[in-house]
Formats: sequence, structure tokens, C-alpha cells
Amino acid sequence: MHTVQIAHVAKSFGSTQAVVDVSFDVERGEIFGLLGPNGAGKTTTIRMMLDIFKPDGGTVSILGGPMDEGKKDRIGYMPEERGLYQDLPLERCLLYLASLKGQPPAAVQERLTGYLERFDLAAHKDKKVKELSKGMQQKAQIINTILHQPELVIIDEPFTALDPINTQLVKDVMRELRAQGTTILMSTHQMHQVEELCDRILLIDDGYDVLYGSLDEIRRRYLGHAVLVSAVGDLPSLAGVIESVPHNGALKLTLADETGPQDILSDLVAQGVIVERFEIAVPTLDEIFIRVVADQ
Amino acid sequence: MHKLARIASHEYRRNVFKRSFLITLLSVPLIIALNVGIGFYLESRENDDSPVGYVDRSGLFADPAPVPVSGSAAPLDFLPFQAEEDARAALDSGQIQAFLVIPARYPGNRDATLYYLDEPGGGTIRQLLDFVQFNLLADRPEEVARRATLIGQGVIVRSLDARHEVPGDGPNFGIIMPMLIGFAFLFLLLMNASYLMQAVVEEKENRTIEVLVTSVSSRQLIAGKVLGTVAVGLTQLATWVLFGVTAVVVARSAGVEWFQNLTLDWQLILTAVALGLPSYLFTAAIMTAIGAITTSAQESQATGSIFFILHVVPLYLAGLLIGSPNAVLPTVFSFLPFTALLTIILRNIFASVPLWQVVVSFALQLLYAIAALWIAGRAFRLGMLQYGQRLDWRKLVKVRSS
Repeated sequence: MHTVQIAHVAKSFGSTQAVVDVSFDVERGEIFGLLGPNGAGKTTTIRMMLDIFKPDGGTVSILGGPMDEGKKDRIGYMPEERGLYQDLPLERCLLYLASLKGQPPAAVQERLTGYLERFDLAAHKDKKVKELSKGMQQKAQIINTILHQPELVIIDEPFTALDPINTQLVKDVMRELRAQGTTILMSTHQMHQVEELCDRILLIDDGYDVLYGSLDEIRRRYLGHAVLVSAVGDLPSLAGVIESVPHNGALKLTLADETGPQDILSDLVAQGVIVERFEIAVPTLDEIFIRVVADQ
Repeated sequence: MHKLARIASHEYRRNVFKRSFLITLLSVPLIIALNVGIGFYLESRENDDSPVGYVDRSGLFADPAPVPVSGSAAPLDFLPFQAEEDARAALDSGQIQAFLVIPARYPGNRDATLYYLDEPGGGTIRQLLDFVQFNLLADRPEEVARRATLIGQGVIVRSLDARHEVPGDGPNFGIIMPMLIGFAFLFLLLMNASYLMQAVVEEKENRTIEVLVTSVSSRQLIAGKVLGTVAVGLTQLATWVLFGVTAVVVARSAGVEWFQNLTLDWQLILTAVALGLPSYLFTAAIMTAIGAITTSAQESQATGSIFFILHVVPLYLAGLLIGSPNAVLPTVFSFLPFTALLTIILRNIFASVPLWQVVVSFALQLLYAIAALWIAGRAFRLGMLQYGQRLDWRKLVKVRSS
């Protein structure tokens, strides 16, 4: 079952067309990455999903139908322009915002205490939000997004301002939520986090969806005709190699069209080269991102 | 608890438990108490209860009758002197505070002379005039003399149904109480208008707005904020009323004349409260809507003042509303938003507004308030989509949701 189904949505503001034609589905219990360069239309798409903006065209189905008031309690949203009530003590602020998600403070208190301890914020629960560091406020935002146990989490740049330890903590929490069946839609620029976490992605550029599918499938789609080779000593001259460049402690050999990876491996063995590493060069998401956006 | 109630409760607690609220709350009664205190102090300085002398050359005051004194004022002694020199000596020695020389041809030319070292206060002058007037009418029945001195030229005004009466010496505190309630609502509105117009500014500034609108509807958010703010205003009003009641009790026990024989007309007071509440809610919602659709604080304040002026239009037409309370215009004004509260209060001073008009007006004010809350919610929703552009008023009243 699709938790989110977006079909050909479009939105313009005056003469600016923020989203032209975007379609994608998010399946239940997956972490979905929404990617795109700045101004591509990611935030507008999310806002249309959440009924903050009405689309000019296309359809949005969320949790099985159009967005309505009842569904707001089943969704956790951490927007790009995030914020909490700066003058309220942290715990009171989180309890109030949870109460607006239909969670009475008494019912949510125990869960909140657990999250505050896990995110190392328990000692700061009585401090005003404005007295917390950016990283602490970011963690508080994440707690606010998931405290009411939503079925769908929409989270924009979750790792901003977090140190490596807290980044890992957030990733662990996201994986746990996925394991519990929560659907997560994550918008981020941090490609290595997407590679680590996401099951599927959508790349938006200039208001259009330009790349959509599972990470493995996309990587296969963008496989270059190249191999990565690491060997003892220098590599001899190899037939069918048109370019050789260093790449992460190995050499990336770009092959001529008529040459296959097996040909190169056979040649290396035949020449008595002691091969330490030989693999098909898989493009990183960063490389795919740059390539796709540059092609548009 | 309903989400709207949670927002209202949050808004209320956030404002009431602030030091600035306490300062505002106490400053109004303190300023009033200070003004009243200064007034009483100046009045007490004016009142000198030492005797007043008189030199009677007309013979009209040979056997003066004691003059009845109205209210709580202490009666002054009037001492006769045979010669002006004796009176002057008594004045110089401080035995009397002033003396009046009544010439032989008085009252023909109505020309008497008052001598004093320090100008006597208003209370002394009033009693002196009463003394002269009362004794000039000594040959008439005492009832006539009393009416001339104590009641004076005042006209008692009674409504046709005899339910309301304003004494000749002016209304006392009980009579003006409904007007005070009406003005208290306007005062509250004036005090809270700028806050109402910026009801969602904090959420816009601290970026919680998107989290909020994905948790509650725009209407719940705006209605909750308006109701919370209205509750804050009513807390202020209730506190002031408490201070006022305490002051009245103290003033009554201290014998202040204005607070004696209070005739509280509960029907009028309830009418003022019943119309004041929805009128306040209505205008609060309108002010919030203005804040949601205008693009700057300056613009919202300018627009807000126009709506505030509409509230006080009945004051400019007070002559008509009081003089012809049941004419067409006063009746129409009694049903309109903004004008109903003061119009009905003013009409009720010398007449009785029919009960059906009060009931219909109350129902209409309630409807206006609900409609204004709806418009404010819609204004906020549309305002969010406008990206700082000016919102077309026509879009606000379109029924179809955008």
C-alpha cells in the first residue's frame, strides 16, 4: 500500500513555476529520499503533500486519500524553516505541540521523558528553548516530529547542526521507526546519508521529477563503463583502456566500448599482475546527482 | 481537550503569567485610584468647616432658619455681625473663613459682597448660597424652600415606562454603571488591539507556523488565539470590576455622596455585558484578520484604527440616540456590528430599549462574532499563501475554499 501518491502536481506563484510536473509514490515502511538542488521544488512539493499549499494541478493522496484534519495527527513534519517557541521551557513546549497532535500531556509524558534521555536533553528540559544550542534545538525538533508516534514522518534536512554522534543517533532512530512500520520521507542534500538510509529516492530539478526509483536500480542505471583496479606495483599498459585516473586509492579505468571488464581482468592475470582489488566502478549518488542535474 | 481549547488555554496562560500583564492589570486601577485620591485631596483642601459670617443690613436675615444640608457635607455655622468692622476682625483672627455683607437694598439689586482672605471652596460657596436662598424664601412653605435649595433647578427625567429615572442633581454611580461597562469593553479593545493584530506574528517569526498548520486547522488556530486573548481581556475586566466594587464599598462606608443610595439597574448592566462580550469577540476577530492579511504592522494599525472609530460613532450621535432613542437610525444602529453596544447603552439612558431588540441584537452580535472568526481563519489561511503580497478582500468572502 502506498502511504503517499503524488501524480503530476504543479504549483506556481505569480510568474514563477515552482513545481511543473512531479509524480512519485512512497511505500509504507520505507525511507524515501526527496533530493534536488536548491530551488528545485522539494519544499513546495512537501507543502502540497501536507495541504499547506493547494496544487494548481495534479492529485495528492496521503494515507489513503486527500489530506484532511484527521490525518494531521498521523503525520509528523519537521519543516525546513523549523522552529519552536523560543520563550517556553523545552519540555512544556514539546508537550504543548504534542497536545496539538491529539496527545494529552499525561499520555505522552513517559515517552517524552524517554526521548529526552535518549537525546541527552533531560538535563535541559526546564531551560527555555532559546537557551539551547542549535544542535540541541535540532534534536528537540526531531523529538517533536516523532513524539506522537506518527505513521508518516516528513523531515527536511534532519542532520543539520548535528555532530557525528548525534547524526548516528538520529539515523538509528530513523531505522528503528522504519522497522516499526513508520514511513519516512526525508529531504536532504547529504547524499552519503541518503545512500546509507534511503530505500528509494526521487530527484527533482527545475520543478520536474528527473530520477526516481530504488537506489540499487538507479546505481545500475548509471553504471559507467569502467573498473576500479588496485595492484601491487604499477599497472602495465592495458588494451581497451581509454582513460586511467586515481580514485580512492585505486585506479579507475574507463574502458573502450568494445572492451569488457573480463577482458581487462584476463589481461592483468596474463601479465602476472598481483591484483589486490578489482571491481566494477559504481557511481556515487553525488556523481549521479551532478550528472543528472548537469544534463537537465 | 479540544485542540481549539488547548490553543486558547496556551495563549491565555502564556499571557497571564507574564510580569508585563500584572503591571498592565494593576496600572489601570492604580492610576484611577491616584486620580480619585488627588481629587479628594484637592476637594478636602477646598473645604473649610469654620463658620461664615454675615452682616445683614437688609433685615431679611434677622432670624435665620438653619439650612438643611444635602449628602455627607458638614453643615457650616453662619454667624451674624452687627458691623462690617467686627466681621473683618473675626476674619483676620481666623474665627470665620469669610463674611457676606448684605446691603439694605438687597434683594432688590441682588448685589451682596463676600469678603475673604483665602478663596472659600466650592462646598462653602454652595452652603452660603443655600443659606441666602433658603432664608429669602422663609415666608414660603418650608417644602418650597427645601425644593429650591436642595434640589435646585434640576429636572428629574423618567422614562415613559417609569423604569429609569435620572435625578435632578445628575446621575449617580449606579446609573452610569452600564455606560462604564460599555466603555470598559472599548478600552480593553484599544489596549489589546495591537496584540490581536500580531496574534500570529510570533509563530511567523519563530517558524512554528508550518508545524502548527500541519497539526490544527487555520480556523482552530485563529479561533483559539482570539478566544485566549479575549479571555485575557476578560480577566483584566473582572479584576478591574473587583477593584471597582472594593472602591465603591470603601467609598460608601466613607460616606461619599455619589456612592450613596445606589440604584443598580441589573437589567441594563446585564444588557451591557451580554452585548459587550460578543462585540468584543467580534472586533477581536476582525483585528486578528487585519493582522493576518496586511503586510506590515504600520498598515495593520492604520486599518485597525478605522474599525475602532466605527465603535465610537454612537458617541458622535449621542444627542440623537438619547433625544430620539426609538427613531429609525438608533434602532438600525442597535443591530449593526461595531455600533450596537454603545447605541443600546445610550438609548437606555432616558428610555427603555424593547427587550426584543436587545435579544435580536445579542443574537446578531453573536453571529457577527462567529462570522468574523471564520473570516479571520480564512484570512490567515489565504495570507499564508500570499507570500507577503496584499490579500484581496474579495477572496476572503468567497465561499469556496482555495
